[in-house]
Amino acid sequence: MKELLKELCLTDSVSGDENAVRELIISKIKDVCEYRVDNLGSIICFKKGRKTPEKMLMICAHMDEVGFMVTYIRSDGTLSFGNVGGIDPSVVIGRQVCVGKSHISGVVGATAVHNLSKEQREKAPKTDSLYIDIGAADKTEAEKYVSLGDCAYFDSEFTELGERRIKAKAIDDRAGCAMMIELLHEELEYDTYFVFNVQEEIGLRGSTASAFAVAPDYAIVLESTTAADIDGASGTKRVCALGGGPVVSFMDRHTIYDKELYSLAFDIAKEQGFPCQTKTMIAGGNDAGAIHISGKGVRTIAVSLPCRYLHSPSSVIEYADMENSYKLVKALIGRIHEI
Amino acid sequence: MDIRSTVVSLSEISGTSGSESKAAQLALGMLREYCPDAEIINGNVTGKFGVHREGLPSLLLDAHIDQIGFAVTYITDDGFIKVGNIGGIDRRLLPAQPVVVHGSRDIKGVICSVPPHLTSGGSEVLEMDDVAIDTGLTKEELEKLVSLGDSVTFDVTCRDLIGSRITGGALDDRCGVASILYALELLKGSDLAYNVTVLFSTQEEVGERGAKIGAFEITPDIALAVDVSFAYAIGEEESKCGYLGKGPMIGISPSLSREISDELINTAKSADIPYQIEVMSGLTGTNADRFSVNRCGAKACTVSIPLRNMHTPVEVIDLTDVEQTAKLLAAYIRGDK
Repeated sequence: MKELLKELCLTDSVSGDENAVRELIISKIKDVCEYRVDNLGSIICFKKGRKTPEKMLMICAHMDEVGFMVTYIRSDGTLSFGNVGGIDPSVVIGRQVCVGKSHISGVVGATAVHNLSKEQREKAPKTDSLYIDIGAADKTEAEKYVSLGDCAYFDSEFTELGERRIKAKAIDDRAGCAMMIELLHEELEYDTYFVFNVQEEIGLRGSTASAFAVAPDYAIVLESTTAADIDGASGTKRVCALGGGPVVSFMDRHTIYDKELYSLAFDIAKEQGFPCQTKTMIAGGNDAGAIHISGKGVRTIAVSLPCRYLHSPSSVIEYADMENSYKLVKALIGRIHEI
Repeated sequence: MDIRSTVVSLSEISGTSGSESKAAQLALGMLREYCPDAEIINGNVTGKFGVHREGLPSLLLDAHIDQIGFAVTYITDDGFIKVGNIGGIDRRLLPAQPVVVHGSRDIKGVICSVPPHLTSGGSEVLEMDDVAIDTGLTKEELEKLVSLGDSVTFDVTCRDLIGSRITGGALDDRCGVASILYALELLKGSDLAYNVTVLFSTQEEVGERGAKIGAFEITPDIALAVDVSFAYAIGEEESKCGYLGKGPMIGISPSLSREISDELINTAKSADIPYQIEVMSGLTGTNADRFSVNRCGAKACTVSIPLRNMHTPVEVIDLTDVEQTAKLLAAYIRGDK
């Protein structure tokens, strides 16, 4: 699954422009399920199980990632851009990026520290003041390589940190996609829908449409969520921790989760002897927000991977958490129909 | 010699001030192509070029071999590495920045980024004391590999931009080292107007310390500090910058020798080499400040390669400037004024 995760993370697909990752995913699943691509671009897969259940389960993850869109080419050949999804400008300044379909290299520049006033040095950058430099001498040269509306992506290696952790961009939510691809290759107890959604990062758009189309009774949302177990953070502010197992929340800013599914997850973890945790802050949100109020309502649980530095080019996870999340989801597929 | 590959390999090797040995060894190997007797003395790479003849003035060609970075100061119980800065670091761009900790082996890591719920409004910049590196290793594992004082650099791979521009880390001042090497390549077999000694000096970023002891040994009459200077980019003041791709920036300053500045300008004009003038009103912030007051004094000047985003992991240069700088140095040393 690690190699699969690597391939998925290194594929560039910002919200609204998911073509590259969609093609990659289809190439991995086309022989193991029935699938179709909906009008927004989400992949809806149906996997036959040994039994056809009375109630239908949908498992989903989103395939888009946060990134940038070129909004203007200045006379000096630099590019203005907007964020696609929520990105802290502090993780954008001073980075390498790739721009457009031909993936030309660029950098997000920063005024030399020597030339900043004391006040400027202490002030976090704002997206509006940042620009991408592709090395073009002027606008005319830049226009040969870049068009308005082109996406830009973090240029970031997939690196193993020590023996347990991984650093990459787009772990949110390619980790969820990787788990779904693996599950689609397994023999399942029950018929199940698997949906790879578009446009989560700009407001749960893809899942709004695909959940309506599938109209499931249950949903498991596979996600990544902020772990703040970093130096200097303590108590509730840590939210969740790497190595603490899958994160199952009772509530975030979009969803109050189904209480029986919440309990079932912790029961499974206890029975199987792997760690499982909840979030110690009510924060964030994911496709569950759109799914649980879709149609007549969907009983929903989110299984999230604790992830440090989410939405940055250097997101960090612990691989064991991904393996344990996989175990949890696999067990949930078998037992969700008991509820 | 291929300028691009020389710049890239020099840029991608580590050598923070005081821990230059890997970068110095690489540069030494490159310099020995032209100066077979080159050696490392007190950290500095130095070598005499060609046959030194009696009666010729001695000329020092210098570029600094060190780079900015960090030093490990502490390992926390949770396995985070705390660091202090070596040289001028822009703390605004540290969150989630990939780094390499140069312990008994290289260890990759990421600088902790504080998520929005832990910041009040998100407008503050990390204090150096709050910078922590996440390596995925525990305190016990780290203690076997990392010692306090070990160096840390940004983890950067060079990338080609459009045309002849490239981005990378530590181009300040490895591109200066590359331009001196290319100047020597151009000078092979030429008659020289000076007895030339090359110095790739340590510890420039913490106060030009390697240059001080290096020049003391060499005792030059003329000293050229080949460094980088600010290339215009958004956010910079145009009046204080040169431009990428418009050639070497020749320094003029009360602390520099106006005679040498003028000679360099005349050399550039007569050899048809594009150049820019960089006027500074006092000290230059380069090794030239040390050279001019070395021993009984020397005529010093700066020849600078324009560079954007100085001291960041995304420094940008135009390789044609490295080439033109080398051509200017070579023409000057041949005595074409």
